Amino acid sequence: MLQTQELQVNIGPQHPSTHGVFRMLVTVDGETVVDLKPVFGYLHRNHEQIAEANSYLQNMPYTDRLDYFNSMANNHAYAMAVERLAGIEVPERAEYIRVLMVELTRILNHASAVGFMINDMGAWQTPLAFGMREREKILDLFEMASGARLMCNYFRFGGVVRDLPPEFIPNLRELLRALPAYIDELERLLRDNEILLQRAIGIGILPPEVALSYGVSGPVLRGSGIPYDVRKAEPYSVYDRFDFDVPIGKVGDVYDRFLVRIEEMRQSKRIIEQVLEQLPDAKGGHINPKARQNVRPPVGDAYARIESPKGELGFYLVSDGSTKPYRYKVRAPSFINLTPLADMCRGYKVADIVVILGSIDIVMGEVDR
Amino acid sequence: MPEMTPAELRARLATALPAALVEAEPLAITPPPAHGPQPGLFNPPDPLVRPDYLVSAALWVRDTLGYAYLSDIAVVDYLYAGCFELVYRFYHPTGGSSVVLRVRVPRDEPVVPSLTPHWPAANFHEREAFDLFGVEFTGHPFLRRIYMWDEFEGFPMRKDFPRQGDKYLGGESEG
Amino acid sequence: MTASPFEIEIPRGRVIEVQRDDTRVRWGGGLLRGMAVVWKHWKESFKLNRSYSQIHGTFTIEYPEEQPRIPEAYRNMPILLYDDETGHELCTSCFQCERICPPQVIHMTQAKDPATGKPVPAVAEFIIEYDACMSCGFCAEVCPFDAIKMDHEFELSTDDHTRLTVHKEQLLRPISYYAKIAPTMWAEVRESALKKLQGNVRRRPDVIGLAPQLTEKIAARRAELAAQAVQAAQAAAAAPAAPAAAPAEGRKLTPEEKAAKLAAIRAAKTAQAGESATPAEAAPAPPSPAPAGEAAPSADKAAKLAAIRAANAAKKAAAGEAPATLPVAPADGMAGDTPADAPPAAPPADKAARLAAIRAANAAKKQQSGDGS
Repeated sequence: MLQTQELQVNIGPQHPSTHGVFRMLVTVDGETVVDLKPVFGYLHRNHEQIAEANSYLQNMPYTDRLDYFNSMANNHAYAMAVERLAGIEVPERAEYIRVLMVELTRILNHASAVGFMINDMGAWQTPLAFGMREREKILDLFEMASGARLMCNYFRFGGVVRDLPPEFIPNLRELLRALPAYIDELERLLRDNEILLQRAIGIGILPPEVALSYGVSGPVLRGSGIPYDVRKAEPYSVYDRFDFDVPIGKVGDVYDRFLVRIEEMRQSKRIIEQVLEQLPDAKGGHINPKARQNVRPPVGDAYARIESPKGELGFYLVSDGSTKPYRYKVRAPSFINLTPLADMCRGYKVADIVVILGSIDIVMGEVDR
Repeated sequence: MPEMTPAELRARLATALPAALVEAEPLAITPPPAHGPQPGLFNPPDPLVRPDYLVSAALWVRDTLGYAYLSDIAVVDYLYAGCFELVYRFYHPTGGSSVVLRVRVPRDEPVVPSLTPHWPAANFHEREAFDLFGVEFTGHPFLRRIYMWDEFEGFPMRKDFPRQGDKYLGGESEG
Repeated sequence: MTASPFEIEIPRGRVIEVQRDDTRVRWGGGLLRGMAVVWKHWKESFKLNRSYSQIHGTFTIEYPEEQPRIPEAYRNMPILLYDDETGHELCTSCFQCERICPPQVIHMTQAKDPATGKPVPAVAEFIIEYDACMSCGFCAEVCPFDAIKMDHEFELSTDDHTRLTVHKEQLLRPISYYAKIAPTMWAEVRESALKKLQGNVRRRPDVIGLAPQLTEKIAARRAELAAQAVQAAQAAAAAPAAPAAAPAEGRKLTPEEKAAKLAAIRAAKTAQAGESATPAEAAPAPPSPAPAGEAAPSADKAAKLAAIRAANAAKKAAAGEAPATLPVAPADGMAGDTPADAPPAAPPADKAARLAAIRAANAAKKQQSGDGS
């Protein structure tokens, strides 16, 4: 028996597969991971303190920068929290537009998350290009509605900043015609790929009880077999009016998370179709005309959470009765989803770490805040 | 989908762990203005738990009530009232709204028992609270700064942390 | 793996377990399927596809050669608007944008009336730090006067960092520019914006809140009006004097008219003071603005510009004549300049503009020859 010695290796912070500046201090025994400590904060900008120095409305564009893939989802959670705090009603039509935008966000996030995960496996660029392609079209739609592709800043307290432009719905319908073929194609490209199977099946297993005790959420939790989806568990906005399924995984490995994401894209498409059916009958305009943007909520606190594509995104706000939040706390899904990373990686090979990390789908803008 | 109002939770907690509950006093977030409308006092309905009993109360919420999903731990610095409030938020895996436990610790000695050894979900939340607010979690296995570098002095999210200039940036309010 | 310990029911939907097949070796079948997808895309990539409903084909654009189609709502960097006609800026320095700006990159100072020192609803200096702007568009949203709007220009890269601190002169764009990039969005606010502008212009002394790009043009327009007023004053001076000016006082005066009146009075004074044959010379000068005036109401800006320039030249020529008795040569040169100047100002195929310019030039020439003879 050869005498081996444990070795400490840094992966990152500057590493192409760490999704930003993220460092993992890995203790390895040969090729096997013994322990892992995630180290981050390289992108820390004290988002929460910036927010406490700003007025409520001024924070809206800063929430875009949290998880820059899903700015619409971040806007939604923050707008909901302020609306709860200040007691602002949202008209029906605005709620439908919000759901529409967040579901489009989910599709683009999952498409690119799958692409990035495959990228981390070493399939350089081609699958990622497939993942990014429909994302571009969705971003075009966002640009039409909000004026920007990534930093949408589209939501306002009591609705959205402007109504959908006339060319939006026809373009969206065209996109919806393409989506099933696109998702099928993405699945055909990757699902049975032997290389992906070798790298994904049985890797990074997170059993359901462990997943729950770690407080993970989103596709990571559902991939572990717990059908917890905030849209179902505590329906917000108008999600109780739509039929959609919650996909869960069997084993809780990388492959399950990948399949759950693919399936969630299909469910999101279902929701968007239902939104388009119900949108013309929705009452009210795109924004509550009585909603003031320079809000001054009464003293109190509010917590609002949504099912962001990455998991449960929550905003906890405390108001002291002034125009600025006294406390502004973000419950960032990809930050908390990193908690079990060490447990997920332990016992696997060094090369598996990047795949497991890719399957968690983190964005450092949100992790570090 | 179990639903539990804060009053129910408080009643059940009072029978299960009578020593854990503290009577919450409404607190003023900011000094009351000399004139003009008064902003009012902050008085959340959730049960306020004695710090020593936090772990047993949290585990009771998880094991007895079944709220097994620890979603969030938020720290709020009430500078004027002189305390930190920690807001623990739990959800039931089958859905429904949250239950909340609150803990208040004095600002000059913010020590709370750590939940991490019993409930790993608290790990990063507690490290974040330690990093940004300086709340000490006794029993935490790896209580290190999570965002700021280890040598950093001060706790940037505290309300008395200088906003303009510090020892790293320079500026008038040195130290 | 055991079943999930949590039997969770879900309203309006099912919990579906993903279909998975754990055989890792599929003898290349999966690889070939993936290759087929890639192959199909490669094959189709020679076709152009601009439809959202197709997933095959190239839908990228060749950027520098081909410009992307930008939606109306697109926002990049803020700009300030001014009225094409009068050159008045819409901004009144109400500080709403400065207050809302999340990264606080907007800075402005309010203009003061140079005569009285009182603040007026106009902006003296307006700076936006483009390098720190986050393009959130709040400034355009909160502006009650629709003075600040989001530009579509995105090619802003520069090797000079200081150029990203943008001052008022570089921020100003005519309303017609914004109406071109965002027609429906401008149409929605046009009426109220212009109405508010009229209200604010009344409270401004006429030297403040004018786009610097237009100062030349505005000066020309004022001179033109002044010339008209001179004529009126001359007529009044020649005939029973004063009453001619009186009806003009009755109605409200635009700043241009005010300036013109002022100039007229001044001109009349000099006319009275000067002993040389000014009245005789000044009298033929006005005919040249007259045809220009005809072209102006057609809302043809270029025409107006050309006409104004021509009129200006004519007037200058006239003025040049007045004190000394300069020969024909410089005046000829000036008159010759005018038609040469006019075409570049006028957009192509703008006949009216050219016509007006030529007519004005002719009038000027006629006057020159009249003087020379």
